[in-house]
Amino acid sequence: MNRRNFIGFGVLAMATLPATLSAFSSIDFRKTKPDTWTAKTVDNAVKALYGDIKPEESGVTVKAPKVASNGGAVPITVKSDIPAKTVAVFQDMNPESAVAVWNVPEGGIVDYSFKIKLKATDENGGNGTVYAIVEGRDGKFYKGKVSLQVAKGGCEG
Amino acid sequence: MGTMKIKAKEKDGIVKVKFMIKHPMLTYDQAKKKGTDPNFITHIGAKVGDKIVYDVSTSQFFSKNPQFKFKFKGAKKGDELCITWTDLSGKTVTECKKIK
Repeated sequence: MNRRNFIGFGVLAMATLPATLSAFSSIDFRKTKPDTWTAKTVDNAVKALYGDIKPEESGVTVKAPKVASNGGAVPITVKSDIPAKTVAVFQDMNPESAVAVWNVPEGGIVDYSFKIKLKATDENGGNGTVYAIVEGRDGKFYKGKVSLQVAKGGCEG
Repeated sequence: MGTMKIKAKEKDGIVKVKFMIKHPMLTYDQAKKKGTDPNFITHIGAKVGDKIVYDVSTSQFFSKNPQFKFKFKGAKKGDELCITWTDLSGKTVTECKKIK
């Protein structure tokens, strides 16, 4: 079956049937939303992924060290109790903004930890920010963020 | 041994998973400097049976040998958790581990 049609069908099915009946299938957001991954600003990346949204600033926790000594592997945790459809993580330090997009199964727990590479923030105490956006099953969007400093960049390699 | 280290542990109905993938995660910038092609993991999925429990599209910004943690409900000790990753070069690897 054509993948695009299938996803379209899933959306229709969710609108008309109880959500439990809709099949959950894997989504490759790099294929379905290619512009998200090349966007140079957080705003543009968010727009490419979700369109023009105004997320509420509540219900999403993003954790990161205040000062990351090694930008090669900065530990990040994203948590939310909101029943989520998707979760997306962005940052404003690297050349492109999008980090990852999760496709959350029905009843899935949003508690994701991972390590990412970040460019060093400027030495005069400039901060960078990591953002997480949760697309709720209620159709609303929620946002959380954390600011941090990165002492030694991880992208210079 | 394979390319992944997977740990999955069930307690009170919640399975905690930790995994690491051996991968250089070469960004576009790094690859340019080294004169090679960029290559990084673009998608990771985890399943128990045919049920998807984790599904993420990823970018070049994950660390070298990236590590992930997540939790899910609906599996028990002895079930097999299978993780599949795909990278930019098209390589796909699946490895499974029994939930403890």
